[in-house]
Amino acid sequence: MSSEIGWLGVPLAVAAGAIRGGTPFLFVSLGECLTEKSGKINLGLEGVLLMGAMSAYAISYKTGNPWLGVMAAALAGLTLGLIHAWLSQRPKVNDIAVGIAMFIFGGGIAKFIGKPYIQPLAPQLGSFDLGGWSSNSAVQSAFKICPLFFVGVTAAFLLHWFFRSTRWGLFVRAVGDRPDAARAMGISVWSVRALCIMGGSAFAGIGGAYLSLFYPGCWTESISGGQGMIAVALVIFARWNPINCLWASVLFGAAQALGPALQSVGIQKGYYLFNASPYILTLAVMIATCSTKRKLAGAPGALGSSS
Amino acid sequence: MSETQTETSLTSPERPAFQWRSTLESLVLPAGAIAVAMVLFGFFCLLAGANPLAVYASIKKAAFGSWYAFQNTLVRASPLMLCALCTAIPIRLGMVIIGNEGALVIGGLCATVAGLAVQQHSPLLVQSSMALAGMLAGGLWICFAGALKHYRGVNETIATLLLNHIAVAILNHLVNGPLKNPESLNKPSSYPIPEDKMLHPLFGSNIHWGLVFGIVACIAAWILIHKTTFGFQVRTIGGNIRAALIAGIPVGRISLITCFIAGSCAGLAGMVEVAAIQGSANESLNANYGYSGFLVAFLARQNALGCILLSILLGGLITSGGILQRAHHLPDATIAVFQGLVFIVILFSESLYGRWKFFREDSHE
Amino acid sequence: MLTTHLHSPPSLELVNVTKRFGSFVANENISMEVSPGTFHALLGENGAGKSTLVKCIMGYHKCEEGDIIVEGASRDIRSPQDACKLGIGMVYQHFTVVPSMTVAENLILGRPDIPALIDWKAENKRLEAFMETAPFQVPLHALISDLAAGQKQKVEILKQLYLNSRLLILDEPTSVLTPGEADEVLGMLHKMVKAEKLSVLIITHKFREVTDYCDEITVLRKGKFAGAGKVADLTTSEMARMMMGEERTGKTVAKSEAAPGAPLLELQELRANRDNGVEGVCGVDLTVRSGEIVGIAGISGNGQRELVEILSGQRPLTSGTVKVNGQPYGMTRAEIEKNQIYILPEEPLRNACSSLMSVAENLVLRTFDKAPLSQRGFLNPRAIRNVATSLISRFRVRPPNPANAIGNLSGGNVQRAVLARELGSGTAKVLIAANPCFGLDFAAVDFIHSQLLEARNRGVAVLLICEDLDELLSLADRIVVMTSGRLVYNAPVTQANIKEIGEKMAE
Repeated sequence: MSSEIGWLGVPLAVAAGAIRGGTPFLFVSLGECLTEKSGKINLGLEGVLLMGAMSAYAISYKTGNPWLGVMAAALAGLTLGLIHAWLSQRPKVNDIAVGIAMFIFGGGIAKFIGKPYIQPLAPQLGSFDLGGWSSNSAVQSAFKICPLFFVGVTAAFLLHWFFRSTRWGLFVRAVGDRPDAARAMGISVWSVRALCIMGGSAFAGIGGAYLSLFYPGCWTESISGGQGMIAVALVIFARWNPINCLWASVLFGAAQALGPALQSVGIQKGYYLFNASPYILTLAVMIATCSTKRKLAGAPGALGSSS
Repeated sequence: MSETQTETSLTSPERPAFQWRSTLESLVLPAGAIAVAMVLFGFFCLLAGANPLAVYASIKKAAFGSWYAFQNTLVRASPLMLCALCTAIPIRLGMVIIGNEGALVIGGLCATVAGLAVQQHSPLLVQSSMALAGMLAGGLWICFAGALKHYRGVNETIATLLLNHIAVAILNHLVNGPLKNPESLNKPSSYPIPEDKMLHPLFGSNIHWGLVFGIVACIAAWILIHKTTFGFQVRTIGGNIRAALIAGIPVGRISLITCFIAGSCAGLAGMVEVAAIQGSANESLNANYGYSGFLVAFLARQNALGCILLSILLGGLITSGGILQRAHHLPDATIAVFQGLVFIVILFSESLYGRWKFFREDSHE
Repeated sequence: MLTTHLHSPPSLELVNVTKRFGSFVANENISMEVSPGTFHALLGENGAGKSTLVKCIMGYHKCEEGDIIVEGASRDIRSPQDACKLGIGMVYQHFTVVPSMTVAENLILGRPDIPALIDWKAENKRLEAFMETAPFQVPLHALISDLAAGQKQKVEILKQLYLNSRLLILDEPTSVLTPGEADEVLGMLHKMVKAEKLSVLIITHKFREVTDYCDEITVLRKGKFAGAGKVADLTTSEMARMMMGEERTGKTVAKSEAAPGAPLLELQELRANRDNGVEGVCGVDLTVRSGEIVGIAGISGNGQRELVEILSGQRPLTSGTVKVNGQPYGMTRAEIEKNQIYILPEEPLRNACSSLMSVAENLVLRTFDKAPLSQRGFLNPRAIRNVATSLISRFRVRPPNPANAIGNLSGGNVQRAVLARELGSGTAKVLIAANPCFGLDFAAVDFIHSQLLEARNRGVAVLLICEDLDELLSLADRIVVMTSGRLVYNAPVTQANIKEIGEKMAE
C-alpha cells in the first residue's frame, strides 16, 4: 500500500495498525482490568476471545446482522465468565489453573462449534471512512475505522468514571483492595467478583467479535493469537487504569504493525522481534518497577492472594 | 486449653497407623472427578449427535487398542511428562510457572544450534551436546523468571507468560533469518541435524528415547522432592517462606536451582522434539505442549509420579483426535473440549478435599 | 439518614449476656452499662472475652442468653448495619479503610445509603461541611495508603462520626499509634464525650489511657465479670488485681543468682524498615551475655516485631551488625547450627511453621539435614518419625500424630510443637523468645517460664521480648524498654523502677 507514498507509508501503516490491531487488545484489557480491580485474575480470556470470535461470526452468518453477532459474542463471554467466576471462587482452587482450564475448554468449544463456519463468508461490521479528505487510497484505507473502536474508547472512559463515581465502582475497588473490609461493610465479595469476572469476559467476547467481523475479518482456529493471554500483561502495563489501557492497547497494536510496515518498504530484519517488542517492553517495565518489598503502585491489594 | 487436664497416658512412642483415609481420599476424588467429566462429555457427545459409548470405545481403541496405537500414545506422552515437570516442580516452592512452552522452544532451539555446531562428530557427542544445550537453555530460561521473582518480586506466572511469547519470537526470528535452511520453503526451518546423528527409535518401535527421559525425570523429580533434604527445603519454602528463613534455608539459592531443574526438563523436551522427531528447529516446536504440560501437572495434583500416568492418558487422548473425526464425524477439537471438561471438574474436586468426615484421619479415634 | 442534627448518645446496657462457641464459654452472664456521655473502658487480659462481647453488641455474634438494651428497649442486633441504625459504631484494631481510595471515598463508602451515581461536587461540599464540625482534620483527597497510622485511625473514627454513630466502640485503637498520636485521638474523643456528643466504650491494655481519659471501667476475667467501678475511685493496682485475679500472686519464679558470662549476642546500631518502608528499628544497641535473660518491654508496634524478624533472618537490615560470639552473624543455616541459636517467634504458625508439611517435618526443621535424620542428602523417614514422636510426647502436642498436617493443629498445639523444636534438643546457646506465653494456659506458661530459666541457668543468653511487664519483671535479669524503634531504658531488674519504665514505654 505504500507504493505511492513510499516511506511515509510506514508511520501511516503503524498509526492505522495501532487502531486496527489495538482494538481487540483494548477490549481484552478493559475486561481484564475490570476483573483484576475486583481482586481476581482471569488468564482464560484467550478462550473467551475465541468463543466470542466464533459466536459473532456464526450469528452474523446465520442472521445476516453483524451487530447481533457482537451481542452473541458478549453473551458467550458472559457465560464462560460465569463458569470462571464460580470455579475460581471455590476454596483451594488456583486462579491461574482455572484460567488455563477455561482457555482449553473455551477454545475447544469454539473450535468444535465453529468448524462449519470456517469456509462461508459472514457479513462484516461496517466502518467509518474518515479518510475522505485524501485522494490517496492508502490513506483512505488506513482511516477506515470500525465503530467498535469507538465503543471501546467510550467504554474505557466509562469504566474510569464507573470506578470513581458510582456505588458499584467503589464496591469493586473495595472488594479488590480489602475484601475483609468490604465484607464488614456488608458487601458480598462473591457477587461483586462474579459480576466483574462475567462483565470482563463479556468485554473480551466483544474483542473476539471484532477479530472475526472486522479485522482480520474471518473465523479461523488461530485467530486469537495469544492476545487474550497477554491481557494480563497489558493491565500491568496500564497500571490498572482503564484510560491507560487505551494507550497501552494502541501501543501494542502499533508495535504489531511495525514489522509488516517495515517489511513493505523492504526492511526484513527483525520482523518477528518487532512482534515481540510489547512483551519485552512489558517485562522490562515489570523488572524496573516491581519490588520484593511492596505491591506495584495501583495494584489491587487482594490480587494474587486467596481471600 | 483443656488438653492438660484430659491427658491420657502417652508413654511409649508408638508407630502411627497408615494414613489410609487421606490416601483413599486422594485416589477417590480424582477418579470421581474424571468419572463426572466423562458423564458430562457423554452428554456433550449426545448433543453433537454421537453415541458416547461408541466415542469412548473409539478413544480407547485409538489410544490403547493396539501396540501400534499405544506407541503413538507414548510418543505423545513423553514431551508432556517433561513439560509437566516444569510446572509440577516449582509449584512446590509456591511458584505457578506457565513458561513450559517457552522453555521447550528455547531448549529445542539451543539444542539445534549445539547439534549443528558439532554435527561432524559422533552421534553420541551430537546428541549429548544437544541434550546439554537444551537443558541448560531451558533451565536458564525459567531460572531467569525465578530470579526476577526472588530479587525483584516480579510475578512469575506473568513473567513466564511473557517469556513464552518472547521465546516464540526468537524462534521465528532465527528460523526465518540466521538459521534458515534455504531449502525449507513452505515451513521455515533451521538447517537439519544429519539423519544419522538423530535419536533413533527404541527396539524397532516408534518409541524414542524421549519416553525414557520423561519417565526417569519424573521418578527422579519425585525422589528429589519427597526423599531428599533438598526437596525438604523446597517444600518448606512452598509451605511458608518465613519458616524457611527462620530455619536459615537459603531461599534464593534453592528457588533458583529448583527453577533451573524445572526449566531444564522442558528444555530437554524441546531437544527430544528436535533430535527425535522434527530433525530441525521450526514452528512445530510451538505445538501447545506447554499448556498441555501445565494441564497434566494440575491433573496429577503436582505429583511427579502422577505426571507419568496422566501424560500417557492425555497422550492417548490427543492421539485419538483423528479417529473421532473419521468414525463419528466429530471435529478434532472435541478432544480439547474433553480436556477442558476434565480440567474443570478436577479443579472443582480440589475444593472438596477435607469436605467429608469419612476421609479425615483424626476424627475417628 | 444523614441528618446534620446531632442526637445525644444512646444508652447501652447488657444484662446477663452469655456467648458460647461449642462447649467453650466465651462470655458468661455479663452485665454492664454505658450511660450516655461517658468514656467507658473494658479491661481484661488477652482471651478474657472482651472482643467477643463487643462483637455481640455489633451483631457479629448472636449471644445465646441475655439482653442487649439500647435506649431502654431490648434489641435484636443481627448485623453491624443494625447496630449502625441504633447509632452504635465500632473502630477495629486493624484498619478497615481501603488503602487505594481517598479519604473522601472511604467516608462515602462507609455509608449504608451510597447513591448509585455519586455527584462528587455535592458530596465534597457536604464532606467539607462535616469536616468543619469534626474533632480532627484529615486531608479529604489524600490516598489512605499515603497516610500515617495515626491519620488512618482518625479516618476510621471520622467514618463512624460521619455515619452519625454516637456510641463508639474502640478495640485497642491505640495499639498501632505512637503515644503522641494516641493522646491526640483519645483527647479529641474525650472532649466530645465531655460535651455529651458521644459515648465511648474502649478496649485497652494501657492503664495510662484508662486513668487519663476514662470515667468508668468494667473488667472481664476468663469470660466472666470480674468487677466494675468509677476510675476516680480506683487505683491502677486495684484495677490490675481485678484483671489478674488473686491466684496469680503466687506466680513468682524461683531464680538463682544471676552470673552473666561472656557477651554472646551483640546488636550494633541495627536499623531496618517496616513493611511500609518507614524505619521501624532505628539504631538498636544491645548485648546479651551468657547466663542472663534480657527482657525487652514496650507497647506492641514499637519495633519489637521487626527486631525479632531481623534476628530470624526474615527482615533485611538497612545498616548495623548482629554479632554472635564476637563473629558477624548472617542468619545462615551453618551459623545457626554452629552457634546454636533458637527462636520462639510470636504467631508460630505464621512465622515458624510450614503449613503444608506434617507435624513431624516441622519438628525436624532445624535438624533434618543432619545424621541420622538424613544421610548423603537423603531423608530417613523412620528416624524423623522417631524424633518427632518423642518430641510430641515430651511436649504433649495434640493430637499425637506426627503425620498430621501442622495447619490442622490448634493454636496452642502449634505453639507446643515449635517449643518442642526449639527447646527440645536442650543445646541452645542463644535463645530469642517473643511473647512466648501469649494465648497459653497457666500450666503451659509455667512450663515455658521454667524452660527459659533453666536455659539461663545453663548459661544460655536469652533475649525475651514481651508485652507483659509483670512477666518480664519476674523472669528477666535486665530490663530494656523499646519505644519508637529505640531502646530508651536499660537497668538490672533489681534496680528497675516500675514508674520510670512505664513512663519510658509511654514516651
